Amino acid sequence: MKWRKWFRILHRDVGYVAVALIIAYAVSGLAVNHIEDWNPNYTFAESRVDVGPLPPGEPAQLADAAIERLRLDRGSVRGHFLETTTELRVFLTDGQEARLDVTTGRGTLKTIARRPVLFQLNTLHLNNLKGAWTYVADLFAIALVFLAITGMTMMKGDRGLLGRGKWFVAAGLAVPVVFLVYLHG
Amino acid sequence: MLIRSLSLSIVIAVAATGCDKGPKTAANAAVPTATAATAAPGAATPAAAAASAGGQSFGAGVKLASATPIASVLADPKAFAGKTVRAEGLIVDVCPKRGCWFEMAGAAPGEKLRFKVVDGEMVFPVDAKGKYAVAEGVVSVTEMSMEDSVAYAKYQAEEKGTAFDPASVTAPITVVRLDGTGALIRDKQ
Repeated sequence: MKWRKWFRILHRDVGYVAVALIIAYAVSGLAVNHIEDWNPNYTFAESRVDVGPLPPGEPAQLADAAIERLRLDRGSVRGHFLETTTELRVFLTDGQEARLDVTTGRGTLKTIARRPVLFQLNTLHLNNLKGAWTYVADLFAIALVFLAITGMTMMKGDRGLLGRGKWFVAAGLAVPVVFLVYLHG
Repeated sequence: MLIRSLSLSIVIAVAATGCDKGPKTAANAAVPTATAATAAPGAATPAAAAASAGGQSFGAGVKLASATPIASVLADPKAFAGKTVRAEGLIVDVCPKRGCWFEMAGAAPGEKLRFKVVDGEMVFPVDAKGKYAVAEGVVSVTEMSMEDSVAYAKYQAEEKGTAFDPASVTAPITVVRLDGTGALIRDKQ
């Protein structure tokens, strides 16, 4: 039948268009699936620092002294905050932070870095961009449904949907249904 | 031939809609004003132009023209419970896992107000720490039992990856936060 031929052609070409996003979303899906165990977007590092006791003063003066002793580029400083009366936090660009006990001068320098590739993939997958990307993602979702439906029509006869295909489809459906019914029912 | 044309159309449509994918800025967000964060506690601060300051808009943006100092909300949270307020401050912490909250600093040491959204509704980048937030939401006040307070503090410690000592919780915690509807994050005040 002609419709099957058309479905095959469309399945092939829509598949070519969608393949980049399918892989991107799959990789991101693996990454965010384990969000309880790791941060899929950022890496964190921490090093110890000791700049000696800071001279008493207002928070801005304490921050100035800390910046000077840590030899930080002033252009990279976003702001500061006294977490407690003795714990000073100095915020730097890219989410980095120096945290010091002003009475001892000891503390930590925290750095944050975006995970290359994964950060961008997650941004797309989780639709953090919003706006026009929402419509691209909608199109992609529609394309996936189309690929799923046309994929089932690729073969006919014993190897088709009405042959052994129906059992595979049923098996694929059964897995989430069993989880939903028995684990969350 | 028809099929080939259709396939080509799909490619062109995807490419065209993918062009405008940047985050919204103050220029196109519904954020008419911003305010200085240095007003006296208890007083709403005057509005100033925000659009020139730029920034990244989240959610429904910020609609209120006047900000309520964080100190005022924290000093008498029950007076603000259920009310929509606009608060501003330096971002001192961001949810390290899902980006579903950030904390803004008040003027006094340790004075912080958390801005919380439903997971995924808005996602705040972890590297926004140190930037300046203008946030709008409904003040929520939750008084916890001692048991819940310990569990809450433990969860917070785990989320931040810090050590937790149950003995550090000596009294029931009252959680005051903004249930967020919109925010604007920019580099400077």
